[in-house]
Amino acid sequence: MYVWPGVAAIWGALLSGLACAGTYFAVDRGRRDLLPLARALYSAYATCVVVASAILMTLLLQHRFDVAYVNSYSSRDLPFHFLFSTFWAGQEGSFLLWCFFGSLIGLFVWRSAKEQEAPVMIVYLSTFLGIIAILCKQSPFKLLPPPVPADGVGLNPLLQDPWMVIHPQVMFIGFASLSVPFSFAIAALWKKRWDGWIARTLPWALLTFLTLGTAILMGGYWAYKTLGWGGYWGWDPVENTSLVPWLFTAALVHGMFLQKARKRHRKINLILACTAYATILYGTFLTRSGVLADFSVHSFIDLGITGWLVAILGSFVALSIIMIAFRWRAIPTADDEETPLLSRSVLFILGISVFCALGLVILLGTSAPLLTRLSGTPSQVQTSFYGATTTPAGFLLLLLSGLVAFVSWKGATLRELLVSARRSLIVGAVATTVALGFGARDVASLVLLFTAAFAADMNLRAVMRKAGQGKLGGAGGYLAHVGVGIMLAGVVVSGNYAKIQRLTLKVNTPTMAGDSKLTFVRVVPGSAQRKQAMEVRVETASGKTYYAYPKMYENSKTGQLMANPSIKSGPVTDLYIAPQQYDPGQPEVIGRDVRLAKGTTTNIEGTGFTFRDFNADRAAMMRGEKTILVLTDLTITPPDGTQHDTTIKYVYHLDDRPPEPEELAVPGTPGAKMRVLAVSPNDGAVVLRLTGISKNPADEFQAATVESLSVEVTRKPLIALVWGGFYVMMAGGILAFIKRSGEARRAVVEAGRVEESRRAEPAIPPTGPALPAHSRSTIRD
Amino acid sequence: MKKGYWVAAALTLAFLGFGLTAFQKTLTPYLSFDEARKSRGVVQVMGGLDKESDRYDTSRQELSFDLVDPASGGRMPVTYKGTKPANFKDAISIVAIGRFQEGRIEAEKLLVKCPSKYQGAEVEKAYSASSPGKTS
Repeated sequence: MYVWPGVAAIWGALLSGLACAGTYFAVDRGRRDLLPLARALYSAYATCVVVASAILMTLLLQHRFDVAYVNSYSSRDLPFHFLFSTFWAGQEGSFLLWCFFGSLIGLFVWRSAKEQEAPVMIVYLSTFLGIIAILCKQSPFKLLPPPVPADGVGLNPLLQDPWMVIHPQVMFIGFASLSVPFSFAIAALWKKRWDGWIARTLPWALLTFLTLGTAILMGGYWAYKTLGWGGYWGWDPVENTSLVPWLFTAALVHGMFLQKARKRHRKINLILACTAYATILYGTFLTRSGVLADFSVHSFIDLGITGWLVAILGSFVALSIIMIAFRWRAIPTADDEETPLLSRSVLFILGISVFCALGLVILLGTSAPLLTRLSGTPSQVQTSFYGATTTPAGFLLLLLSGLVAFVSWKGATLRELLVSARRSLIVGAVATTVALGFGARDVASLVLLFTAAFAADMNLRAVMRKAGQGKLGGAGGYLAHVGVGIMLAGVVVSGNYAKIQRLTLKVNTPTMAGDSKLTFVRVVPGSAQRKQAMEVRVETASGKTYYAYPKMYENSKTGQLMANPSIKSGPVTDLYIAPQQYDPGQPEVIGRDVRLAKGTTTNIEGTGFTFRDFNADRAAMMRGEKTILVLTDLTITPPDGTQHDTTIKYVYHLDDRPPEPEELAVPGTPGAKMRVLAVSPNDGAVVLRLTGISKNPADEFQAATVESLSVEVTRKPLIALVWGGFYVMMAGGILAFIKRSGEARRAVVEAGRVEESRRAEPAIPPTGPALPAHSRSTIRD
Repeated sequence: MKKGYWVAAALTLAFLGFGLTAFQKTLTPYLSFDEARKSRGVVQVMGGLDKESDRYDTSRQELSFDLVDPASGGRMPVTYKGTKPANFKDAISIVAIGRFQEGRIEAEKLLVKCPSKYQGAEVEKAYSASSPGKTS
């Protein structure tokens, strides 16, 4: 009974949202008296979304397992912070989270839109109403048929990580805030107001750049410290579909800077705002419709919303294309003096082009299964595709970002540039020489490293120059570029010069891994507070000794074997120990194990073994007993040609007790015995252990093995630069965000003042009478 | 400024062209086991995991297992040098991407797909499916 408020809230959000959009339409048609109603309806919409989220969160916290969503993603044993994060563990919840942030951001949008309020809010709302409609169809408040389950299925153990608690929230803030530039861009096209939107939406674009970037890094760091394959980026569709919108947002941010500074290049930003938003929708379609299910590590369940996602994507892409095409000639362009090729404007345009081209190419690779399905066998690109394409793009971006620090809007001559770049070229050369000294020979890596060091130093000097002028607040872009240089240097070195070794460490036997000595000491048993771990003593070349504790444990709920690496971060190199396999060792075994598939005959030393069928004690299982009797029907045909039908018992316990197999004599061979070692009902197979049947006793002898731990030891040089460079980049982004937020506030106040004066004297347009609307806006620029 | 746009357009087109070439070069098709046996390049195959066949060879540092085609019942041995995915044992199907060499797929990458419901329910379902009265 307690789910109906949730269902009502979602429907309430849909209806009030539609009503709000309708009312804004009326406002736009001249009914300004309806403006308070439109705003009230928006508040009602936002309230409904917040209430729906609150109800879902309450149901999760109260363990209402009769709600399908609660049952699928949460369980009683989850600590509070993971229980909290089950909200966005499934598709419905994460859609709701997206709308949640969207509804809150909308409260700022209507206040900053001023003269554009009606058109902006209509578009802004519509970017979320499609998702709300999906939630009405695929409600997170669906009930399971009775009886109420005692406990839920639980959260995927891989997601039970602090990083995964915050990662999706940060991500969806980024997704939601990108709706703002999109809405303003469409409104600008609609109302032909070509410049006012840039100043007001630049902070939102920067917010997306910051949050999406942070979310991507968090995901990467989580992969690095949890999954144990030694990397932070795998070019999986899920990763790509957050990277591509980020690249387009970076392009948009640069385009907006350009338009703000030069008061032209309007078309670029209108296109970029639409494209960036479209990539989010396309990514949502790719990852949530199930179309890539066979091509991604992450399994996406097809909820049957593919049609809806396609419709949403299609309508927004169509809207963007139609609006831009329709207004193309009306968008004012500045045909002015010719700018030299080596000018900041051109560098910006080139940078934007590279961002877009790279984004499109990554999107192409990610969409490979869809595209190839059209013409036959679905295929996927190898990860080398991404390496091959990002390398030249990374080089170009680094080069451009390095040059932009010392090329002004007016342009520079090559000679001036070379003079100002001299120090940075030396820095690049030094970095390359050092890398050569360490044995780096790969040309692409060396070129990238040179360019990265060059770009970082060029921009560092630009930051110093700004700081010297007392204008550090305006150095955000340069600082971000310093970070990009550092980060890409780290990516190149840690990626291309990692040393990987695979070893099996026998217990208490020191083994050399590079210049360190590793000794597997013992298994540290798990407790309620900590997971079971492997204790490995590491003696480094410098004589230091420490203990590494890579975790290896069975998830109590799902029985999955989880393995987390141990990472020892040094100033230069990370030593990364990923456990692969723990062998507890076993005493010698006498017997010969034979696997029989149902209905097939296997010949062992002349005797045929046919596995006919299983019979399980079904009644006992229905009673919920912890013990199952499995009867295996076999037909044995000894060399003498006789045929023996026999049934062998196997008692299987669902708790931890060992199984109890019955031992029978093998007919036809004196002294030979057989028993069931394992049953595999899923694939219809049984494993028999035979003794005394082989002519050669060696066939029935399995030697004892020593307790051992197999590990993969990776040395990652300079990976700290990846994280460090990222922080610097984000610091630059935050500086820019602060500066641009201030400008946006002033722009909003200014727009409000213009709006008021226009309202006060409605008969006289601000720039003079009798001019058509579009030429008026040209003049105002 | 026009010149700048022309350079940008040329750069974009060149990069997209380069991307397309790389795309065609690295495309790996989804193949059946039989097709995979005949191919030389990198392929991907999908099948169910034969849970009895899963071994870790501590001397070669290598995971090996058999994939079973649920439709034909055909088998494909796979080896993989790399971290065993956490949910490996629960896999309802596994995608192996790699080359066919010496009678097996040498996988560079594994994609593991897991059931949404966990073990307990699976075991019961499997047992009731093989209950008495049902002929094989």
